[in-house]
Amino acid sequence: MAQVISIHPVTRIEGHARIDIHLDESGEVSDARVGISALRGFEQFIIGRPAEEIPRIVSRICGICPWMHHLAAVKAIDGCFGVTPTPAGHLLRELCQVVAHIHDKILHFFFLAAPDFVLGPDSDYSVRNIMGLVKREPELAAQVVRMRQLGQMMLERFAGKAIHPVAGVVGGFAKPMSEEERRGLRADGQVLLDFASYALDYAKGSVFHRYQEEFRSLGAITTGFLGTVDDQGSLRLYDGRLRLMHPDGTWVEFPASEYTDFLAEQVEPWSSAKMVFAKFWDEGFSLEPDAPKGVYRVNTLARLNVCDRIATPRAQAELEEFRRRFGRPAQGTLLYHWARLIELIYACERVLELLADDRITDPAVRTPATSKAGRGVGHVEAPRGTLIHDYSTDENGCITRANLIVGTTHNIAPMNLSVRQAAASLISKGKVDDGILNRIEMAVRAYDP
Amino acid sequence: MPPRLSFEWLHACSGCEIALLNCGERLLGLLDRVEIVHFPLLMDHKYQGWEGGEGEMNLPEAEIGLVSGGVASEEHLVVLRAMREKCRTLISFGTCATHGGIPALRNQWPINEALRTVFTGPEGKGEVSNKIPAHLDRVYSIDEKVRVDVSLPGCPPRPEMILEVIEALLEHQSLHLPNKSVCETCPTVCTGKGRAAVRRFLANAEYDPEEPIDRMRCLLEQGLLCMGPVTAGGCGGKDTPLCIRARVPCRGCYGPVRQGGNQLLDMMNALASNGIDHRGIVDRTSLLRFSGAHGLLRPRRQRT
Amino acid sequence: MNPDPKIIAFCCNWCSYAAADLAGISRLQYPGSIRIIRVMCSGMVHPEMVLHALDKGADGVMIIGCHLGECHYITGNEMALARAEVIADTLEDLGYESERFQVAWISSAEPERLAEAFREMSGRLAVLRGLSPIETVGGG
Repeated sequence: MAQVISIHPVTRIEGHARIDIHLDESGEVSDARVGISALRGFEQFIIGRPAEEIPRIVSRICGICPWMHHLAAVKAIDGCFGVTPTPAGHLLRELCQVVAHIHDKILHFFFLAAPDFVLGPDSDYSVRNIMGLVKREPELAAQVVRMRQLGQMMLERFAGKAIHPVAGVVGGFAKPMSEEERRGLRADGQVLLDFASYALDYAKGSVFHRYQEEFRSLGAITTGFLGTVDDQGSLRLYDGRLRLMHPDGTWVEFPASEYTDFLAEQVEPWSSAKMVFAKFWDEGFSLEPDAPKGVYRVNTLARLNVCDRIATPRAQAELEEFRRRFGRPAQGTLLYHWARLIELIYACERVLELLADDRITDPAVRTPATSKAGRGVGHVEAPRGTLIHDYSTDENGCITRANLIVGTTHNIAPMNLSVRQAAASLISKGKVDDGILNRIEMAVRAYDP
Repeated sequence: MPPRLSFEWLHACSGCEIALLNCGERLLGLLDRVEIVHFPLLMDHKYQGWEGGEGEMNLPEAEIGLVSGGVASEEHLVVLRAMREKCRTLISFGTCATHGGIPALRNQWPINEALRTVFTGPEGKGEVSNKIPAHLDRVYSIDEKVRVDVSLPGCPPRPEMILEVIEALLEHQSLHLPNKSVCETCPTVCTGKGRAAVRRFLANAEYDPEEPIDRMRCLLEQGLLCMGPVTAGGCGGKDTPLCIRARVPCRGCYGPVRQGGNQLLDMMNALASNGIDHRGIVDRTSLLRFSGAHGLLRPRRQRT
Repeated sequence: MNPDPKIIAFCCNWCSYAAADLAGISRLQYPGSIRIIRVMCSGMVHPEMVLHALDKGADGVMIIGCHLGECHYITGNEMALARAEVIADTLEDLGYESERFQVAWISSAEPERLAEAFREMSGRLAVLRGLSPIETVGGG
């Protein structure tokens, strides 16, 4: 008898989602889909509001990565008002963004994903979580909790609020950094860098090698990738050009302001979520499991695949090892976790690099702006992938039109493919258990939706 | 058996949950004393067994339940009612739960219009998906739908405050929720004489970055619209309010200081009473951006 | 059902409330659906009271104080004037037509003007009622 198996809610992810797996009469998977249901209406309710207020409103799209929305919006509003931030303004914004990446990656890897690896995908659901990790590895867990808090406190001490930030403003930043603050942040940054190196060593030495098979096969699909690089082809999180890589490894680069020439949005009849596909490839959009069309991925794995190098030494060494093992582009879905920890090292190194730049304490942090009509596209690389905010304003400087492509939107199509692949390879003859279903969730978790 | 805690999120962004994690090691201390039985962000308890299909909500019983987010869909309502039923003490966790929060800005438009804009995009292409869970006509705070025992506002609530509330409930002590305004907790210099008009925040406030915050002039007196007078304080604990630390004006994220107050009317009243011209405010309804539930934000009347 | 729109009138003790008294003694006619609430000064009517009245089903709200310059408490009615502008603007934001609110200055010796103001307000609201029915909103 045909049957639908539901995983509701998908847990240990940073939002609301469910998975529905359809089995046919013989108990084989006929279809599997991820549904992300939240509809919040930001594109609607920011219309008519003064543009300079938008960065403080759209941060509420996500409480885990509010800095990303805050800064993508600030950059877009810079564009609407035609204002160029001061160098210190840019440096302070980037510093906060990169610090925000640190807490996010620690959260995702250790709090959300690690229980699957450390305690095992088949361990009982009641202990397969951070509380279980605290009991199994109390010292590691305590350090993880401390380090994540440290990243957040760096932001709160310097920029007022860590969650739902306020310090990014059109034209730059709201306050300069004092030498004393700089010293404190450097010390904290060093602690975090040491932890990041330890975290990757721990994962490589004690965790990942036990899951070779999962890394190769779980949720494995072949897609293109999208990320951000500078003019040297180095990984960038705060700004740069978008690079869209085809599954065959060739790529095209474009500024974020031209995103509509390369990407297109579509609502599939079976889903409430918008999906984005690579219009530039001119092959249309299809989620056919054997021959998907127009599908690319974002987030950590994508960024490491599209960049030629990483401009900081430790992360570059890790990238080289990663490429030796998995090639370029690496396609294994669980490799997102590995890439996440490499990016964690980059973020920590970049924090120290930014703090070493003497311009960061320049008191000229903001260029005064004048409200006016215009259009601006702001983009940053968020933990969850390329984030694009696109606004238009009227002559009074109020929003007339908004389009937001958030990281997870790019990944909804590939997530569906991965879940379908995982379900089809794990379920046969209608046999399902908790461990199998958790493995299917792991395919979603890797994307960190 | 240790006391049980249960967490749920509705029309929320997960910022409240992250605020809880920001408690750091104090949180580990709490974990020694309680058992968390349901928490979708962190653990794998599901609503139903996988073979159960669309059956009843399978939420565990708990001594204390925390619900973040407002109520925007039928699904939220089902989860919220189940939480109310299973939790002896229910805490509305964060400003979305207590006052609607930012998502309640949607209440200024009829629901169909909001759906159309989101789905058809700027060019008006595409169709509204028919697969969306049934949306309510507006975004509600949770106390509009079920009885709430403790109201813990903040976007997000201050981490220490979250722990203090949970610990006070565990020890059956009385709660000390802040009842002062942001202004009453703000150390900036207030002379009683400010500018007669408000300007948009397009250039930074005037202050000497070398000097401590208590030497900075009140932002409202500098002509920046600051919601401090009508907003519940507590974001900075005993110290300076958080936005003021970043030298930016308060936008009201803890909701009204007065129980049931209307931040828009109260702020406009405060401006009028102090002879400050309110016409510099571009979008007045933004003053209700954190507290638009309880029927305060509504669509404008269409005149024929 | 009473066809007259329901109006809440906040009347100052020192002027319009006395004028209403005098209007009664003088047998002046005005709509029976006016509900007068005596306040010591027009300046003590918080905008929230106006909104509350509308939320609870009133069709319109009036604040009636002393002529400017004649306030018993020197500047109370100037406060009311400053608030009145805010109220008129804000009501539109909150989903009401600004015509539902009216401020007026009427001394204790002007019962005819008071009755006329009531009639005028009532007429204006009757037109509005024909256009869009009031729905009661709870809370507030």
